[in-house]
Amino acid sequence: MKHQWFLILLSLAEGPLHGYGIQRAVLDRTGDRMRLWPAMLYRSLSTLEGEELIEQVPAPDDQPDDERRQYYALTGKGRERLVTEGEALAVWAADARKADAR
Amino acid sequence: MDEPSRRRVFRTLLHLFPRSFRDEAGRDMEHVYADMYDEWEREREGAGLRFWLSLVWDAGRHAAAVHLDRAIRNPLTGGGGEMMGSVLGDVRLGLRQLVRHPTYALTVVVLVAVGIAGNAAVFRVFNGLFLRPLPFENAERLVDLDERADAWDLEYTGVAWPDYVAWSEGNRTFEAMAVYTGVGRNLADDGEAERIDMIAATHTIDDVLGIAPILGRMWSAAEDVPDGPRLVLLTEGFWNDRYARDPGVLGTAITLDGQAYEIIGVLPAVAELLDGADVWSPLQGDGDGWYLTGLGLLREGLNLARAAEDLTAVHKGMISERDVNEVTTPVVTPLRDRYLGESRLGAELLLAAVGLVLLIACANIAGLATARALSRSGELSVRRALGAPRGRVARQLLTESAALGLVGGAIGLALGVWGSRAVVEALRARGDFPAWVQFDLDARFLLVVASVTIGSSLLFGIVPALRSTHAPGRSASGRVTGSRVRRRGTATLVMGEVALAAVLLVVGGLSLLDISRLNRVDPGFTTENVIAYRYQLPRLRYPDQAAAVAYADQVVASLEGLPEVESATVASLLPLFDHRGWFFVAEGAPPRADDEPNPVVLTRSVGPNYFRTLGIRMLQGRAFTDRDGREDESWVIIVNEEFVASHLDGDPDPIGRRVANGTGPPSSDDRWFEVIGVVRDVRHYGVDQAMRPGVFLPYRSQGSRYAQIGVHTRGDASEAMAKVRRVALDVDPEVPPFGMILMETRFADTLFVRRASSLLFGVFAAVALLLAVAGIYGVVSYGVGQRRKEIGIRMAVGANASEVLAQVVRRGMALVVLGIGLGLVSALLAARPMASLLVDVRPSEPLVYGLVAGILLAVAALANYLPARHAVTSDPMGVLRDE
Repeated sequence: MKHQWFLILLSLAEGPLHGYGIQRAVLDRTGDRMRLWPAMLYRSLSTLEGEELIEQVPAPDDQPDDERRQYYALTGKGRERLVTEGEALAVWAADARKADAR
Repeated sequence: MDEPSRRRVFRTLLHLFPRSFRDEAGRDMEHVYADMYDEWEREREGAGLRFWLSLVWDAGRHAAAVHLDRAIRNPLTGGGGEMMGSVLGDVRLGLRQLVRHPTYALTVVVLVAVGIAGNAAVFRVFNGLFLRPLPFENAERLVDLDERADAWDLEYTGVAWPDYVAWSEGNRTFEAMAVYTGVGRNLADDGEAERIDMIAATHTIDDVLGIAPILGRMWSAAEDVPDGPRLVLLTEGFWNDRYARDPGVLGTAITLDGQAYEIIGVLPAVAELLDGADVWSPLQGDGDGWYLTGLGLLREGLNLARAAEDLTAVHKGMISERDVNEVTTPVVTPLRDRYLGESRLGAELLLAAVGLVLLIACANIAGLATARALSRSGELSVRRALGAPRGRVARQLLTESAALGLVGGAIGLALGVWGSRAVVEALRARGDFPAWVQFDLDARFLLVVASVTIGSSLLFGIVPALRSTHAPGRSASGRVTGSRVRRRGTATLVMGEVALAAVLLVVGGLSLLDISRLNRVDPGFTTENVIAYRYQLPRLRYPDQAAAVAYADQVVASLEGLPEVESATVASLLPLFDHRGWFFVAEGAPPRADDEPNPVVLTRSVGPNYFRTLGIRMLQGRAFTDRDGREDESWVIIVNEEFVASHLDGDPDPIGRRVANGTGPPSSDDRWFEVIGVVRDVRHYGVDQAMRPGVFLPYRSQGSRYAQIGVHTRGDASEAMAKVRRVALDVDPEVPPFGMILMETRFADTLFVRRASSLLFGVFAAVALLLAVAGIYGVVSYGVGQRRKEIGIRMAVGANASEVLAQVVRRGMALVVLGIGLGLVSALLAARPMASLLVDVRPSEPLVYGLVAGILLAVAALANYLPARHAVTSDPMGVLRDE
């Protein structure tokens, strides 16, 4: 799975976000190293939606100003996929750490 | 960029995507674009070039990918819509074609790149000078205030303090008004002093420019009075470099010219854009000379004419207290016009010239593309026979052109930015333009270059595309000779190219001729091996004229003690530096009427070695001696030729005549200056400027704290500069020499802008010539190639080779001659506005026109002859067999 897809799924794990919200979440999580520029972002969202890993949802009730914006949320399938990918990454991360120890 | 235009840019970017994608995500992406823009403005240092480039790159890259994705996902409809799908097909087809014919593709890319590079480079400078908003708040309402005095032959006199006071109190059209003057200062913390730039301004300057201190405070009106407290504000750069941004500087003192100034604040970086100032300080204005620069902020919705009318009414209303205001009149000019107005015409002409170069390049490509489309007509008719609609074929040709155009444009953009760097740096370093002129790249620059690229791609793509829809669906095996329509088309291209090249050659030729003549003008003084610098003596330690003269004597003596130095001199002004004007009147001259012109006389005070050091020729009489200018001696003066003409009725023997300073005879008889010498006119303001009447007084009688030193060295002056500096500092470490420069450099600098633009005109003309020749060659080669069979048959049946040759060349040259004629007439019209840019050349200079016609005829004849000869010397039987 592509890096940016994983990060998008990860950002949505905490709840629905709109496009710019996802961009900020990924920025924060990567310490400003990865910015998903708009075209890349929406191309990724479109792909993830096509794979049914995320879905469009109405704006949350606590964000009334943002009802013009499209929010995205994880689907059940998306959440499962995130967990499996995460586990795979964890194994690799552990292996990488061993390399450092040697 | 304002909000609507931002939105337009965003929408344009979105249009790169397939419609289906746009329908899904377009609105949301627009939100994200807007959010990011806000973020950049808020949290980063504004949304600059990097931001926009990243957006464009992101959109371009992913739009292409999405197109591809969707085309693959749904090949039947082309996914992103019928149109985009088939455009992709066109691109694929086009690419295949281009890979098969790389020479064509390469040629087109190079031609576009050259054209765009030139345009990008010139537009970058033009944009910086005339289009970018000035970096001040309310820039569009900022105006320069000055005074004009026609009777003194002065376009700008500067603003006098009493006038400013009256204007600012009496006007009803300005929101705020300020005056300032640049005053350098010697900054001495400990040991050797260093020169810094300071401006002294009225307390209103922050309101006019919309600048607020980032630390501390501005000075108040109460502090801005004669003998008020000595205060300064640092500009951000100076604060950064010298104090490492220490906020503790507030309240501490800085020693300028031996006097302590309290630091009361720090100004944002934009404050440095006013004359490159390191520090600002209160003007505490008084006196009544015209030494101030004025700035005004117009009230909202008011125009210049109203403001000028208002100020003039105030100005003329005070004639009773200040009768000199009879002569002077306020001038209100938009800030940019005041400093850059004179450069505008030249810059516009350069832009036009480089635009013509691009046009010629486009004509060239159109010719190439047409020829190529015709040679591909076999393939195209097959496609049409298979059912491709005519429009489809045209679109394919257009797509190919666009693809090549974009590649060429991208390369040209890069080349242009790279190439203009040198020019921009030279302009900045030389200080020909105010510090607020910014040449950084901006969104406007990118948009213009992009539109020019797209426009020219359409221009050269449309000709073959249209032609393909009109061409008869001829048989795939037909070998027709060139149709009449086609020949008329290429003929027009050749003629047009030649005409445009002629225009550019004339403009380039006039400009180069002018600069080469200016280069040969004798400035009247020697520039070789002369060093010039300025100094300023601190008031505390050099309180009077005697002290100033003693310092000058000592420095000159020390410098002349150096083995490298031939001679040295002190002067209030050296040639090519600044201006100081006084009025003079000759003994016995009838009094001038009030409205009679009384030209200001360029007045300099100079040491005894001045004329020798600068190689200025004495025509009559003698130079100053050490005795001249002493208290007990009579007053003497040396005048230039122009002064003899304007003030002494062209007297052939003016030695011994007497003149006085002022507008009327002096109060006592011993106040007359006796003329003891006449010197040659010196081009004080540069060889491209007119000379004024000028006089010299002995430095000894006029010595001041602010002066210049000129040093004539025996060998290479640049090697002696460090030593000269050392000697000056040895005499007094608190008086640093500043603005040290070789006279040669200074002299070259006065002509830099002229020289640079002449060079550019010349380069554009040369490129145009090259392109036109290539164009002629291409078209003739192609035409001859089409007629090979006809020529072959004629040769086979025994026609005379030279006759056939002559016939081909004659046909080609007829067009060229027409083109040249057309071009020269257009050039005559185009050159007319150049008149004000040329000093020594008339825009109708026959030499240039004759030369251009000759060069064009010669190279065009060659471009016609070579392919024609190739046709007649190739084996006729071979040609026929090929058929």
